[in-house]
Amino acid sequence: MSAVVKPFSVRRLPGFGAIAILTFVLLYLPIVILVFYSFNAGQSQSNFEGFSLRWYAAAFANEQVQEVSVRSLWLAAAAAGIATVLATLAALGTTRVARFPGQTMIYALINQPLMVPEVVTGIALLIFVAFLKVQTGYTGMGYLVASHTAFCIPFAYLPIRARLETLDPTLESAAADLYASPVQAFRFITLPLLVPGILAGFMLSFVISLDTVVITEFVKSAGQDTLPTYMLGQLRRVVTPEMNAIATLFLALSLVIVTAFFLLTRKRG
Amino acid sequence: MSDRPEIEIAGLGKTFGQGANAFTALQDIDLTIDTGEFFTLLGPSGCGKTTLLRLIAGFEAPTKGSLRIGGEEVAGKGPNERPVNTVFQNYALFPHMTVAQNIGFGLKMLGKPRAEVDKTTKEMLALVRMEAMADRKPSEISGGQQQRVALARALAPRPRVLLLDEPLSALDLKLRKEMQGELKRLQTETGITFVFVTHDQEEALTMSDRIAVMSAGKILQLGSPSEIYHRPSVRFVADFIGETNFLDLPVTAVESGKATVALPGGTQAEASLPDGLTPAVGDTVTTVIRPEQAQVVAPAEADMTGTLESHVFFGTDTYLHLRLPGGEPFTLRRQNTVLADEPEPGTEMPIRLTPGALRILRE
Repeated sequence: MSAVVKPFSVRRLPGFGAIAILTFVLLYLPIVILVFYSFNAGQSQSNFEGFSLRWYAAAFANEQVQEVSVRSLWLAAAAAGIATVLATLAALGTTRVARFPGQTMIYALINQPLMVPEVVTGIALLIFVAFLKVQTGYTGMGYLVASHTAFCIPFAYLPIRARLETLDPTLESAAADLYASPVQAFRFITLPLLVPGILAGFMLSFVISLDTVVITEFVKSAGQDTLPTYMLGQLRRVVTPEMNAIATLFLALSLVIVTAFFLLTRKRG
Repeated sequence: MSDRPEIEIAGLGKTFGQGANAFTALQDIDLTIDTGEFFTLLGPSGCGKTTLLRLIAGFEAPTKGSLRIGGEEVAGKGPNERPVNTVFQNYALFPHMTVAQNIGFGLKMLGKPRAEVDKTTKEMLALVRMEAMADRKPSEISGGQQQRVALARALAPRPRVLLLDEPLSALDLKLRKEMQGELKRLQTETGITFVFVTHDQEEALTMSDRIAVMSAGKILQLGSPSEIYHRPSVRFVADFIGETNFLDLPVTAVESGKATVALPGGTQAEASLPDGLTPAVGDTVTTVIRPEQAQVVAPAEADMTGTLESHVFFGTDTYLHLRLPGGEPFTLRRQNTVLADEPEPGTEMPIRLTPGALRILRE
């Protein structure tokens, strides 16, 4: 048998298997343990005393949990909704036009929240919002909605822009050629073809808003806790498996949305 | 074919970019295309033919000049305001719509009633023999079928002019031949003016009523396929279409519309002249003659003699590559109507030129 020259493969490097296993253990073991103890019949995080759903029942019965969950969900829906609309307009404005000076700059500016450390954004917002609160006297949820929206825009923008870039611009020319006005061409051709990107952008920003801690922590006024900041607050006290149950439910919700996002972006290339 | 002008173009020019980066894709085009004509813009890539098509469609605005369709100035109008439809090179079918919805799109945008849209869509499906595929998505039909749907979609609103941007280039050879016949049939049946863009000279020659040969943003020659082929007026046209022998020969006499030149060896031969060109006796002019317009004959009938250097046999014909007395190469295409012997290199071959076939170029 002649010797076959094998191409370079990282999988044959020494220690590849061990490193891979260690990585997965570090990634998933803590989560597995968290989920496991959410079903603990006892109070402990280290001593499993039998299977029970009592902490899930406790979480559902907890009025504070209900309140912060509802707040988190509507905040995420509002922020993701506004961010998606703005991101769609931004994507159209940066891809469906002739190249203009400063285009790369605009691209960088839109994606700013991806590059600036979250804590820096948080402190900046804290100072800015505090100033506004004093000046206007308004202390409602508007600040959180606005902050989350700004933070979500790049997460909505990226999948929408990616989708737009795969769209053949000739399709819009063809629509115009077939007597569609610019508005009709957008309504009947561009928008329907863009829907998977828009939905993906919405879901991604929804998840991002849902689990943002830092921004919320800095911006919120009294009584404006979201689920993540509520959980953070509770951790300073005794940790019962009720936290595990809430975290597990939260994880499940995120998983569902991220899976839907994955399926949507995979479909139709 | 009537003689009513459908498209009138005057002084049309298009320059992309500005200053040092400016690129003139079209310069001062004057052109009239008649109603019901199959008109072809032929040229290599970058010659401006697609730019001209896009100006007619309204996808680009001209830098200067006027463009009338059906007697109406359209220079300031968008593509949705022109009675013109396009078959795109990549077809540009709407992927989220069915075949029938694609075909009905133009009529729907024109605000036609539902019943009329459905009726015309059915007729168009029948016209391109795609009835069975009405409910398929474009991704579920073959390239040739997509091509037919693109045609039906562009014909459905019954435009005054149908623009076709290299629509056959993505098809394989057999399908391309089939679609050439199909396009010609559709054009005859509908009576719509077709403006066809291609870089394929054979396609242009077989389908067109008239051809405009373009290069570097200009129309070099305009005429019927046989005029373009047999009576080229510039070197580019002679070279781009078919195979040609170029011979630089001295003029010995000039009459109206034709001149006499001395062939290598001294024999006098008549050559036709492009309009408006009158060379002087003694000038050296470039002449062209096609390989099939020269025959090997008996020495007594010969216009000139060439020495065989090589030959290429390809069934119906054989190419004989000769060297003339002055050293010029000359290719002769011999039809294999008799079972001739394979010629030996070095053989002296007496050649006769088809009378009137020699053509003087404007250069």
